[in-house]
Amino acid sequence: MDERDDWHLTEALHHEHGRGDPFAAAVRATRMPMIITNPSLPDNPIVFANDAFQRLTGYDRDELMGRNCRFLQGSQTDQDTIRRLREAVENGTDISVDILNYRKDGTSFWNALYLSPVRDDAGRIRFFFASQLDVTDRIDVQSRMAREKSRVEAEVTRRVAELRDSLDAQRLLLHEVDHRVKNNMTMIGSILRLQLREAADSDTADMLRAMMTRIDALATVHRHLYQSDDVTRFDIGSYAVNLASDLTQSRADCDIRIRADLGRAEVPAGQAAAIGLIVNEILAHMIRPENVAKGQVFDISSRTTPARVELSIGFGPPGQGDAEADPVYSPSGVNEQIISRLAAQTRTRVAWSRTDQGSIQVSVVIDKEIP
Amino acid sequence: MNRPKAPLSILVVEDEFIIAMDIEMMIEDAGHQVLAVASSLQDVMALPTDKAPDVALVDMQLARGSTGLQVNSAIQKQWPDTIVVFVTANPKKIPDDFDGAHGVIAKPFSSAGFVAALKYLEEGVCDPPPVSPEPGSFVASPAFAAQWGVSPGER
Repeated sequence: MDERDDWHLTEALHHEHGRGDPFAAAVRATRMPMIITNPSLPDNPIVFANDAFQRLTGYDRDELMGRNCRFLQGSQTDQDTIRRLREAVENGTDISVDILNYRKDGTSFWNALYLSPVRDDAGRIRFFFASQLDVTDRIDVQSRMAREKSRVEAEVTRRVAELRDSLDAQRLLLHEVDHRVKNNMTMIGSILRLQLREAADSDTADMLRAMMTRIDALATVHRHLYQSDDVTRFDIGSYAVNLASDLTQSRADCDIRIRADLGRAEVPAGQAAAIGLIVNEILAHMIRPENVAKGQVFDISSRTTPARVELSIGFGPPGQGDAEADPVYSPSGVNEQIISRLAAQTRTRVAWSRTDQGSIQVSVVIDKEIP
Repeated sequence: MNRPKAPLSILVVEDEFIIAMDIEMMIEDAGHQVLAVASSLQDVMALPTDKAPDVALVDMQLARGSTGLQVNSAIQKQWPDTIVVFVTANPKKIPDDFDGAHGVIAKPFSSAGFVAALKYLEEGVCDPPPVSPEPGSFVASPAFAAQWGVSPGER
């Protein structure tokens, strides 16, 4: 087509509706703002704008004709969106974007712009057709949601920081309390040892010594608990070995070796003191002078099964296998009372036996708490 | 280097009087001698310098606002051959390299643990490396342990 035909079309569109072209009439009358531009004229000017477009922008038809649409853009219009629009026009593709436009009175609105080229039979672009929709409300909701989202995120970040601070404070407090507990236990141990030196007879001394061993055991429990990575769990295997080595190394009169075969055997921290005392009573009973001979061995093993934590302690001459055990051996007195009461308290079973080679076997089985 | 011989002369730096007394007695029971008991850095600085302790047992939190780390550096400066062992409820406050000190005994210690640590230390100081297995109550500094590890032929 030539320039004249374009002109005719433009003219035709300019006519008031009812001139026999129902499509033109529809475009004029629709509530959707629409314009047509002509890329073959310099700067691709508007050649048609319907009433709805004039209402949307506040410009009269006279003010719109012959101008490029970019005058609707303003200071806050996104440069990237403008670039995408320009590229679509240059490449002759259609595009749908939300762009911030300005009315004649300077107020802005969000424009859901759809732009598409209109080609002739030869595929040449003759016009660009653009429809607009004021979507300010939708964009407002979106930006309000975005603002709300970032506010919530900031709030979450703040609360997390608060929690972290309070956790740090608690950790510091725990550390301080731990330090004081340890100092006090050291003090209690020292007082008992000093008292022990004053003991008038061997019975008193034995009682004080038994008491001191129990305090020492509790101190060892506390040390194990706090030095582990997880203060909520207590490994009875490594504790038992520690206690046994303390007990054996302090005795110059005997030469006791320790053989350890330790699997993970953790109990909750709440049970640590009770079970720690049970293990202490067992070891203390085993290592009593009447049981001790030269070259004996402590065999300590531990493991965890789905339902139980198991610790097994053997004490006696070395080199024996799994001999038949005779389940008769067990302590008595305070020793026995502490073991049985604490065992009941912690759902623990303690079974004593003595093999025919003279070794003492104890199995400590702790039922796991069903959560 | 001249190795010390038992009985060892031991300096106790501890601000808690009862604990200091207890340590003192355990040292004597083990057959060693207590050179002095100090409760602060200032006390340590005021000691006569002519007799060097073989071993110093040093608490971390001390009287008059001083710390075991300060005492450690003072001792190393004054008596470079003295073996410094921290005795503390706060082993986490000791730097990884022990600041040149030789080991730590964690509080609360049991009598058995303390005696075992002392015995092990005696072996390591007088006739290294120690023959007893390392007790759970004593941890040697990496450098001190390495010293034993690389010189087993000296026995």
